[in-house]
Amino acid sequence: MTQPLISIRSIGKQFNAVRALDHVSFDVLPGELHAVMGENGAGKSTLMKILSGVIEDYEGELWVAGELQRFTGTKDAEAVGISIIHQELNLVEQLSVAANIFLGRETHNAVGVLNGREMDRRAAELLRQLESNISPAAPVSSLRVGDQQLIEIAKALSLGSSILIMDEPTSALTESEVARLYNVIHNLRQRGVTILYISHKMDEVFLLADRITVLRDGQFVKTVERTSTSPREIAHLMVGRELEESAERPVVDQLPIVLEVRNLSLAWPGHSKAWRLRDVSFRLHRGEILGLAGLMGAGRTELLECLYGASTIQPHGKIWLDGVLRTFTHPAEAMRAGISMVTEDRKRLGLFSHSNVRENISLCALDSLSAAGVVSSRLERAATEAQVQRLRIKTDTVAASINSLSGGNQQKCIIARCLLTQPKILLLDDPTRGIDVGAKAELYRLMEQLAADGMAILVTSSELPELLTVSDRILVLSEGVLTAEFSRAEASEEKIMEAATNQ
Amino acid sequence: MTTDPISLLKRVLSSVEVKLILAWLIVVIATIFLDPGSTYLKNPGSTAELVIRNTVFLGFFALGSAVIIISGGIDLSSGAVIAMSATVFSSLLMLIDPEGFRAGEIQTWVVVVSVIGTLLSGVMVGTLNAWLITGVGLPPFIATLATMVGLRSFARGLIQAVTGNRSQIDFPDLGLRDSLKDVTSVAIVFLIFAGILWFVMSRTVVGRHLHAMGGNEQAAKLSGIRTDRLKWLAYVIGAVSASMVGIVYFADQGSAKPDILARGYELNAIAASVIGGCALTGGVGTIPGTVLGCLFLRTVIDAVNKIVGTGADVYEGMIVGIVVVLAVTFSQRGSGRISKPFFGSLIGWACIPVLGLMAGLSFVLFFREKEWFTATHAVLFGMLVLACLTGRAWIESRRGVKSGLFVTRREPPRKS
Repeated sequence: MTQPLISIRSIGKQFNAVRALDHVSFDVLPGELHAVMGENGAGKSTLMKILSGVIEDYEGELWVAGELQRFTGTKDAEAVGISIIHQELNLVEQLSVAANIFLGRETHNAVGVLNGREMDRRAAELLRQLESNISPAAPVSSLRVGDQQLIEIAKALSLGSSILIMDEPTSALTESEVARLYNVIHNLRQRGVTILYISHKMDEVFLLADRITVLRDGQFVKTVERTSTSPREIAHLMVGRELEESAERPVVDQLPIVLEVRNLSLAWPGHSKAWRLRDVSFRLHRGEILGLAGLMGAGRTELLECLYGASTIQPHGKIWLDGVLRTFTHPAEAMRAGISMVTEDRKRLGLFSHSNVRENISLCALDSLSAAGVVSSRLERAATEAQVQRLRIKTDTVAASINSLSGGNQQKCIIARCLLTQPKILLLDDPTRGIDVGAKAELYRLMEQLAADGMAILVTSSELPELLTVSDRILVLSEGVLTAEFSRAEASEEKIMEAATNQ
Repeated sequence: MTTDPISLLKRVLSSVEVKLILAWLIVVIATIFLDPGSTYLKNPGSTAELVIRNTVFLGFFALGSAVIIISGGIDLSSGAVIAMSATVFSSLLMLIDPEGFRAGEIQTWVVVVSVIGTLLSGVMVGTLNAWLITGVGLPPFIATLATMVGLRSFARGLIQAVTGNRSQIDFPDLGLRDSLKDVTSVAIVFLIFAGILWFVMSRTVVGRHLHAMGGNEQAAKLSGIRTDRLKWLAYVIGAVSASMVGIVYFADQGSAKPDILARGYELNAIAASVIGGCALTGGVGTIPGTVLGCLFLRTVIDAVNKIVGTGADVYEGMIVGIVVVLAVTFSQRGSGRISKPFFGSLIGWACIPVLGLMAGLSFVLFFREKEWFTATHAVLFGMLVLACLTGRAWIESRRGVKSGLFVTRREPPRKS
């Protein structure tokens, strides 16, 4: 057996309360293309950040080419030949191609004057090796995403890297760009470069990889030879968890339709894929909890934003609310029509951190808690205190700062804000993200309770077991297209995963 | 509701308003002792009148500025709007009733129409600013920078067109002038204006929405708040308050000279808001705090005037600069954010001689005409400052070794 190039030995990483990686061990052989797969939050990116020196503080050992390494920065990793191409490219858009390739390592003379011609020549040479004819003098901002990615690869080559980590490299590419990237990868492999390839797309992994390692919940599951496995087995390895107990749910098919969406499309200007969402059609019943599954970037948030009038560009297609055709151009209109939304990014899009609990809860319903534009502090306090009790929000008083609450209680405050507007339809975008298990269970119960009272709920989640627990039906989005719909009885993690990775 | 008296007291004492009142008292008492002419004791009435006049004039447009800053924006155009409004007001008086203007006896209805017209011009400027920001999509800094430069120039052209190539309009009617610039009535109007703004910002739906928008604009929009309309309101309040000052300044100065009137005042307004506890990042600040910020700033300027004596208006900018730095520094430290050492780096050490030199030179500038002044005094003062700062830096570097470690242990870097 060949000596492994990279040996990952019992690596662990703790982020505050979250165990991102737990005793992960596997080997990467020299010259192979090793795919690392897993669901969102499985720990893929964290592991790659440790390998590339971005994260310095971790448990366990990392051996590269037979030597124990402990990187204290990306420079250390580069020194032993490891480079990473991040999902979000790290380029200075205003600078030229050559300037980006040699950023921080510019060739210059004795007094620090740059030698532009030499850098251009070397950049052109590197790009020629990648079979690309990008001009070294072109500003990076003028290039398409696929070309920008090549610049990153050229940069890695200029460092003489023998190990290249690619984090979801095709996520923003067109088909022709993907084909060219495959060529480049082939080219790199012939030069003996070892590639660690992070992806959740089955087809490309099965096209490219020699071996596949699956991570789940921060733990190592298995490393398999590509030739001796199948997409089905990998999907099973990625999700294979025990399902949580779930309560009995009423049959909702017979209930009246509250929301009907037909052929909803959302354009994606300036992007290689023309559509963020394409021809999405579905129905939402009164008292139903409809789950929306999909990987990161599948268009879940965008779909909810379209329904809520919050998308930056107006979507195409038709939306009926209670049988009436509606278009919303501002969340205020959607809210008046009885739609409310809990946003995904609580800190950035939900919380008002300078305000207290009461102000955070009452914000959307101030009109009904005021007379002639003047807020009635009595009504406001009564309404917010009622919500605090109903949702069992743990806070000193409603006058406490919102920052003094735990993540789960902050999330409950935002839900309380939505409930105060008495919506018919509640849109929940990954509502349990970053909150603890106890608060999650409470949220599930609350959703069931609200649905039983007749509210229609559309919920997304990055955790499949959660969707399976709460949803009556599950829709699956993949790259902006609705690829499957499952009833509660039909749905399984494997089926959903297959539909979500189906291109 | 639990109301623990001690925590309540702590909260009251830690509010910006109480801190400003305490700081203001300290300045007043210090001035009483240090002022060689002891004007505070001999002429309390006229001193108070002067400080109140300056506070009220600044206060009007500082409040407008504060509303904009709380809502998450910034207004650089208020000084230019003052100049423009003085021009518009004087031009309207002149154009509507040329006879009365020449005779120096302007009828009341003309004044009323001119005031309304001037305030309307403020509404228009506010609308323009709001459109540039919400419609065109310019950052507030750029949008109001453009109107700042543009409106002053526009006012200069306007005055030339109205007067036939003169650069100013003199106030025609002495009786009217006296009543327009009368401190008591202006102060009463100001208090009413401040009272209304305070009520709007703290008790109404609109005020709550303005705070929310300043704190988190995206979240506010997603909460169904019409942020564009709110921005319009904020910039109109800002421009109209500046227009009111324009009218009063015209009377106070006795002439409308748009090339120099209220030049740079927008920065004083922003400074007063910041001293009064408004955060430039938006969402934080109060109307009473801003009023006290104006009072504190004008009192400090007045105190330096008294102590240094003649020609002290030259140093107004220095005082504003120092007060802003100190006020914001202490409010940041007071609110329990991580306290970084002042002189923790090479830049800090490099700045110690800069500060020492500036202290010594300022001493020379302030006191060079006093009888007791000698160069030795200045050198000693500069050395004293140098020694104090070096001492502070040394203590920090000793303590920093330990507390720096302690801080990193207790608060691990947050990563998601």
